Amino acid sequence: MILGKEFAKGIYKDNPVFRLMLGLCPVLAVSSSVNNAIGMGSAATFVLVSSNFVISLIRNFVPPKIRIPIFITVIATFVTIVELVMAGFFPTLSKSLGLFIPLIVVNCIILGRAEAFASKNHILSSVVDGLGMGFGFTLALVIIATFREIFGNGTWLGISVFGPRFEPVLLMILSPGAFLTIGFLIAFFNWLENRRLVSH
Amino acid sequence: MKDIPRFAATLTFVALIAAGSLAWINKITKPKILTQQQNELKNALSYVLPGTDEGTIVAIEEEGEILYYEGYRDRNKTHLVGYAFLVLSKGYSSTIRTLVGIDSAGTILAIRILSQKETPGLGTRCEEIRSGETTSWWQDQFSCKKSTEISVDKDGGEIQSITGATITSRAITSGIAQRATKIFQIIKNHR
Repeated sequence: MILGKEFAKGIYKDNPVFRLMLGLCPVLAVSSSVNNAIGMGSAATFVLVSSNFVISLIRNFVPPKIRIPIFITVIATFVTIVELVMAGFFPTLSKSLGLFIPLIVVNCIILGRAEAFASKNHILSSVVDGLGMGFGFTLALVIIATFREIFGNGTWLGISVFGPRFEPVLLMILSPGAFLTIGFLIAFFNWLENRRLVSH
Repeated sequence: MKDIPRFAATLTFVALIAAGSLAWINKITKPKILTQQQNELKNALSYVLPGTDEGTIVAIEEEGEILYYEGYRDRNKTHLVGYAFLVLSKGYSSTIRTLVGIDSAGTILAIRILSQKETPGLGTRCEEIRSGETTSWWQDQFSCKKSTEISVDKDGGEIQSITGATITSRAITSGIAQRATKIFQIIKNHR
């Protein structure tokens, strides 16, 4: 198993947002600014890697019929641990990222990878899969947030792009704008993939 | 069906480990988190009552509960800067805690939002700091306004609501106006 491939698949071929279409709820909510996107992506990656690690560790002791409650317990426990440790030992980080941590429990990517990969593969692959998926998730979030922040707020990472006279498109910051952006991006990546397949 | 005892035992075991880890982490982080909150409050008090510090702020209590704070310019507590009080508002998706500093006439010196869990990108903009600046532009609007009479622009007032976050903006603003009115009564009764 080539680890490089395990990592890379999360970025394009099996991108969790544009291909697997997992975790779209937090993606819609958090992609309104690039700063939020980076924060959510980093926090989710940490939880994903940790839970993949633990679930891969215990995969031979988990009875298949009750695997879902066990996975969810593991994931929710990690999210709470991250929340508490950040609040106690990294207060400044907690202030900026603190809002996104509880949102991770409902991120289907975590449960999705636990079920599809970590419960069936050994630890190192599972950790690398977590890293790749997490990175792909963060990348997708940043791309969506770039569109939404630039057109919906006139800024990128808080830095003004168009100058003070720019009239922002409010729709982009709200949910319909998120849906439209994601829809167009998925269509674009599908088109790219079709072209790639046709030319082979 | 004879699997049920085995499943129940496994799930209980996993839940025990999870609960145990969480209890342990909670115990370790609790004192730290408490200290952070106290530090945050101290910083916020000095910010909403400019010119004061820890040694010149007095908490006025009644039956173990802090009603409000008095801030002085000097340690002898002779030059009053103003009063500070906590406002709890029912926001869109969370309880918003705001510390408000007023002078003796009721004019707001400054406010600082201590905690909120509003919608990211919308309600959370109440704490947003623009690049190149050091304070929250939305909270800065409150300074120099009359605490008992402020309201959002949608209600005919001077406070500009956050676009797409009317409920959050209104909750904080009207919460401050309501609490300020009560605090004035409380201060009068205490003097």
